[in-house]
Amino acid sequence: MSKAKPIPAQDIKPAPRPAGLVLDAQLHLLDRQILDVDGVPVTTVDDVELSGPAPDEPIPEGAEAPHITGLLTGPVLGTRIFGGRPPSSRFIRIPWDMVAGVDTVVSLGVRANSLDASWVERWMRDQVIAKIPGGRHDPE
Amino acid sequence: MKRLLGVALGILTAIGGFVDIGDLVTNAVVGSRFGLSLAWVVVVGVVGICLFANMSGRVAAVSGRATFEVIRERMGPRAGLANLTASFLINLMTVTAEIGGIALALQLASGVSYMLWVPFALIAVWLVIWRVKFSIMENVTGLVGLSLVVFAVALFLLKPDWGSLASQALNPSIPSGEGSGVYWYYAIALFGAAMTPYEVFFFSSGAVEERWKVKDLVQSRVNVLLGFPLGGFLSLAIAACAAVVLLPAGISVTTLSQVALPVIQAGGQLALAVLILGVVAATFGAALETTLSSGYTLAQFFGWSWGKFRRPAEAARFHVAMIVVLLAGVAVLATGVDPILVTEYSVVFSAIALPLTYLPILIVANDPQYMGKHVNGRAVNIVALIYLVIILVASVAAIPLMIATGAGA
Repeated sequence: MSKAKPIPAQDIKPAPRPAGLVLDAQLHLLDRQILDVDGVPVTTVDDVELSGPAPDEPIPEGAEAPHITGLLTGPVLGTRIFGGRPPSSRFIRIPWDMVAGVDTVVSLGVRANSLDASWVERWMRDQVIAKIPGGRHDPE
Repeated sequence: MKRLLGVALGILTAIGGFVDIGDLVTNAVVGSRFGLSLAWVVVVGVVGICLFANMSGRVAAVSGRATFEVIRERMGPRAGLANLTASFLINLMTVTAEIGGIALALQLASGVSYMLWVPFALIAVWLVIWRVKFSIMENVTGLVGLSLVVFAVALFLLKPDWGSLASQALNPSIPSGEGSGVYWYYAIALFGAAMTPYEVFFFSSGAVEERWKVKDLVQSRVNVLLGFPLGGFLSLAIAACAAVVLLPAGISVTTLSQVALPVIQAGGQLALAVLILGVVAATFGAALETTLSSGYTLAQFFGWSWGKFRRPAEAARFHVAMIVVLLAGVAVLATGVDPILVTEYSVVFSAIALPLTYLPILIVANDPQYMGKHVNGRAVNIVALIYLVIILVASVAAIPLMIATGAGA
């Protein structure tokens, strides 16, 4: 078994500055509130989906740097707190194309009702709240 | 003119909204046992709530983000969820105490057992949350709550020895017959009653509900800086009434009717009627605020749609959560537990949980990414850090003192 030769510290070059928007996943994305195009809260960011080579595959020379392809949400708080990895079916994906901006919130360019991520809200609305008199009226 | 009216209305509702069942009971208990020797705690608490209510209102107005969104974003899911659990349970305790308070006040008015009033109070609170606009809800309960000024009027009618009251307040000493542990335990309870964390959730979420912008900050500052200290005066009047009438008679407060005794002695039936009106309004207002606060904290943590400015159908999980909270509070009361006892514990647990809410607000109020040029000034930060130390000490000391004194017995 041959060991990889360690690279001396002074030979490690600083990472090149990538083009486009630079976001710190921890600081700017994870646990941020997601709002839809009308400013209605949808959910929070639980994970980030990246492009790039699959795990355990060798990375070819000159491969494109991974970029964000989607935001993930869903009932995954348990594994985020206690560790481990939820089955990927648990995640609900919001494609990155739908993201209109990242500020103190992540804003989407689409309506909440068109998203899978808001199905629980819709279910509660249709099964519970809309059935109580006055549920669809403005407060007076 | 309209603007001036708006300012006056804001100040008046801040005064009327300051006192809740926690302030009523704790101030009366403390006054009946320690005279005004704990008055300084009310002052410390009022300055603290002014400071942090202002800060959380500013964060909400500038960034548009309410407290619990900020807590999750900055503390991450783990510490955030622990914080949510603690805040939510204490909030639930406060909801229970406030609904019990409404029922007890109605019992005082009618003679019918408070247990029979609980379902009535539940439905009334829920209906207001379900149907009434935020601003109307705030203004009506705040203005009617002003009837608690009857405590200050009663104090004058009782013709107390003002010199002795002032010397109790200005040269605080532990009364003979009370241990120092008990004194400090009640100091923490009084501090928790003045600085209840739900006020901060409510204040910051209310800023989003009423769509505050940066230009509204001046008015909110005036409301807080005038309204809360005047509300603090009401708290002191409650304590002073108890100190003048109940302390010499050796009555220590365990029921709401004992809180009312000095007012009855000073002003008779009419004063009692005004008092009951004030207590119902104050506890009803606080029941609305705490119920909404539990909805706000849950919705903001999990990223649900929330707010009374939306139709219930547009904030479905928020409204379902509040219905569940109200039912849980009533279930606790249905066990027959004494609402006054729940109140006494809720204010101490509020003091324990204070650092959980105040630290994240302080951090974000200093974060230029959220606040731009509206970050905290140096003077505010110095005072805020001093308060952080006070809050931490009170929080750490509360449970040992609770055990050592048998919860102030």
